[in-house]
Amino acid sequence: MQTITRAWLILLALSAASTAVSFNVTLQLPAQIPLLGGIIILLLAWAKARIIAARYLELAQAPAYLRGFSLVLALFMLTLLGLYVAATPFSG
Amino acid sequence: MTQTQTDQPFDQLPGDLMMWILIVSELLVFGAGLLAFMAVRVTDPAGFALAQDQLHRSAAGINTVVLVTSGYLAARAVGYANAGRIAATRWALLAAGGLGMVFLGIKFTEYAEKAALGIRPETHPFYTFYYLLTGFHAAHVIAGLVIFALLALRPTPRNLQVGAAFWHMVDLVWVLLFPVIYLLR
Repeated sequence: MQTITRAWLILLALSAASTAVSFNVTLQLPAQIPLLGGIIILLLAWAKARIIAARYLELAQAPAYLRGFSLVLALFMLTLLGLYVAATPFSG
Repeated sequence: MTQTQTDQPFDQLPGDLMMWILIVSELLVFGAGLLAFMAVRVTDPAGFALAQDQLHRSAAGINTVVLVTSGYLAARAVGYANAGRIAATRWALLAAGGLGMVFLGIKFTEYAEKAALGIRPETHPFYTFYYLLTGFHAAHVIAGLVIFALLALRPTPRNLQVGAAFWHMVDLVWVLLFPVIYLLR
């Protein structure tokens, strides 16, 4: 199987996973679950973005740039996570 | 001391440097928008959750699959162009563009539903960001479709790589917009 095809299939699986997590989060689950769901959703988004950068945009050919992109993206997602936690009533 | 071409750091980047400058610029703009969205959400999480309940997560999830698949076809088009397979390149571009139109169809159906409910950008800060970010993204999808049409006319490997990179940027932005606007509770 070609690398790009494998990347596409992984992206489909990750997209399905994040939507599935979201639907679980909307149920009336214990207080800690919404926070956990948000963390998983942001983690999956980071993984999808990294795959698109590495395989679709071919940054895998330039490992130093891919590392830099992954790091900056991770810091961005952590900032989003911080804001998400700040807005989550059950975070305390 | 002489310096060879490969010593230049930007030479390692695949594709055109100007396209990378555009990609980084666009990511910064959308990134700032998402940070602002999340920052405003802190002031009214319950209101944002209620507003978000009016969105169709399933439709947005389908749109993610549509766009990711379109990106895959665009990437395949680049491979076909590099192999000199012009007809296959055009078919892959046509399919990628077709999925781009499906994405827009679902998106504008969503907008029409919101309009029918009387939901406008000024209804709630959530919708201000929703319309601004997804609308700006949809404008990029339209631009991408125009680029696909131009690429189909002149499907050279270099044109394909640059044009597909723009589409992948659109893809990349969506996989960040989708979870933040539609999924985070």
